[in-house]
Amino acid sequence: MNGTRSPFPFALLRFWVLRILPAWFFIGLMIFLFQINVCAMVHDDERIKVVLKLLDMLPAIIKTSLGGDMLQAGNTPALIAIGYQHPLVMLLYMLFAVGVPTTLLPAEIQKGTMELILSRRVTKTQAYICAGLITVAGMFALVLVMFLGTVLGTSIYDFGPALRLYPFFKSAVIGGLLASAVGGIALLAAASFQRNIAVWLTVAYLVLNYFLAVFTEWWTRIKWLAPVTIFHYVDGPRIFNESAWPIDDVSVLLGILIVSTVAGSVIWSRRDLQL
Amino acid sequence: MNTIECKALTKRYGKARGIEDLSFGIEKGEIFGYLGPNGSGKTTTIRCLMGLLAPTSGQCRILGAPVVPGKATYHARIGYLPGDFRIWPQYTAGQSLRLMAALGDGDNAKKRRNQLADRLDLNLDRRLGTLSKGNRQKVGVIYALQHRPDLLILDEPTIGLDPLISQVVLDLIREASESGATVMLSSHDLAEVAAVCRHAAILREGRLVELAPVSQIVRQGERRLKVWFVKGAQVPALPADRLAGVRVISQDSDTLHVAYQGTAQAVLKWIASFPVDRIATPQTSLQEAFMQYYEKEADR
Repeated sequence: MNGTRSPFPFALLRFWVLRILPAWFFIGLMIFLFQINVCAMVHDDERIKVVLKLLDMLPAIIKTSLGGDMLQAGNTPALIAIGYQHPLVMLLYMLFAVGVPTTLLPAEIQKGTMELILSRRVTKTQAYICAGLITVAGMFALVLVMFLGTVLGTSIYDFGPALRLYPFFKSAVIGGLLASAVGGIALLAAASFQRNIAVWLTVAYLVLNYFLAVFTEWWTRIKWLAPVTIFHYVDGPRIFNESAWPIDDVSVLLGILIVSTVAGSVIWSRRDLQL
Repeated sequence: MNTIECKALTKRYGKARGIEDLSFGIEKGEIFGYLGPNGSGKTTTIRCLMGLLAPTSGQCRILGAPVVPGKATYHARIGYLPGDFRIWPQYTAGQSLRLMAALGDGDNAKKRRNQLADRLDLNLDRRLGTLSKGNRQKVGVIYALQHRPDLLILDEPTIGLDPLISQVVLDLIREASESGATVMLSSHDLAEVAAVCRHAAILREGRLVELAPVSQIVRQGERRLKVWFVKGAQVPALPADRLAGVRVISQDSDTLHVAYQGTAQAVLKWIASFPVDRIATPQTSLQEAFMQYYEKEADR
C-alpha cells in the first residue's frame, strides 16, 4: 500500500454533491422557470409595451441594470436577455457562488467535521479541489439550466425563425464563466477566513461590482471605471451583435477564475485550520 | 523502529504557547499514555502528528514516514479519535461511519463496524443528532477502530462514557495492542492510563516534564506513612525544622498521616520516640503521584 499518496476522494466529492444538490435544484428550478416566464412576457406585445413604459417611468438606472437602450419593442433577443441579468437571477447565482464554498470549507471547520475528513486519507488540497469542482461545475450547470429555460420558453412561445438561440448559448457560457469567477473569489475567501467573514467579503465584492457596473453604464463621467468591474466582461450587445466569441473578455474572466482559485488553494494548504 | 517519533517538536500560536521542544518515541505494539491537564498541549501534539497543524519547528515521523502537514501521511493506517468528536447530526451513525471508512482503505469495515456497535451497545440506524453525548462518543470510538488501524491516536476516548462502556473501550484498546497496533492514549483520566499503559509522558504547559514507565511515575511521587499512636497518648507535632521534606496530610486524636520524600529513616527515627501502636504505608496512586508532580512543578 502506498501510504504517502492519497487517491482522489470521490467519496467526499459524492457526499458534498449530495449535500449541495437540494439547494442547487431549488436555485436551478427558479432560474429555469424565470426564463420561461420572461419568454411568456416578451411574447406578448401589449405586455412588453406596458413593461417598457413602466421602465421609462422609473429612474434610468433601473433600465440600465436590465439592458439599457437595447430594451426596445421589437428587439426580442435583448428583451429575452432580461432574464439573464435580472437582479433576482443575479441574487440566485450569488447565493450559490457564495453559499457553496463557504458551506463546504469554513463551515465544515467550524462544525468540527473537517478534522474528521482530514484525519482520513484526504489531503487538504484534495478537499479544496472537491469544493472548487462543485462550485465551478455547479455554476456552469446552473447556466445550462438557464439556457434550457430559454430554449423551452422560445419553443413554447413562438418568436418566429428570426430568433437565433446561439447568441443565448454564448451569453450563457460567458455568464457561467462570470459566475465561476465569482465562485473562485468565494473559494479564495472561504480558504482564507472564517465562514461569516468569507460570506460578507464575497457579498461585498459582488454588490460593489454590480453597482459600479450599473453606475458606469448610467453616468458617463465615470465610464472609465467600467473595466474595473467583473460584470464589464459580459458585454451583452457584443455577444448578440458579433458572431465571434469575445476572446478578450473570456480571457479576463478565466484569468480571474484561475488566479483566485490557485491563490485560495495555496492559502488553504499553508494555513493552520482553526479546528 | 518507533511507530511514532517526535524530535524537538514545537508549535507556537503567535505569542501564545502551544508545545515546546517535545521529543519522544512510541514503540510498535505499545500503549503509550499521554498525560496532562486541559491546555497542557496534548491536542496540539496530536494535531501535529496527524498533519492537521504545521509545527513551528522540529519534526515527527509516523509509521516510518515524515509527517507533512496537510498530506494525510499514512492516514489509512491510523485510527484517530479527536478530543471533541463532532459529526454531521443529520445522518445516521451507520451512514457517517460508512463515509469515513470510504475515505480511507476501510471499504470492508462493515463487519468490524457491526461487531464494535454490538460490543458498545450502539444502534447504528439512529440519527447522530438524536444521540446522547455518550452515544456520540461511542460512534467516535467505532470511527477510530472500524478499519483495524496499525496505529491508534485517541484523544480522551472514554470522555462522556459510563464506567461499563469505558471498560469495554479499554478492553478494545488492549485487544488492538495485542494484535500488533500501537496506541497513543491522551488523557487526563489517570486511572485509565494506569489500567492500560506501560509508559507515559506527562505534559505541563506545553513541555514534557516526565517520560517514564507508569510504575516509575508512581514511585517518583511522595511516599506515605500512617501512624496510629497508643490510645490516650498525645499525637506529637511534626518538627518541620528537623524533618525537611515531610508534611502532614491529616491528623486526628490518635493518628498522624504524613508524606515524605526519599527514605523513611528520619521519620521513623522521630516516631520511635513516641508510643506507637502500629504503622501502615499506603500505596500512592497514579492520581496522587500525578497531582504531586504538578504541585512539585508549580512550586519550582
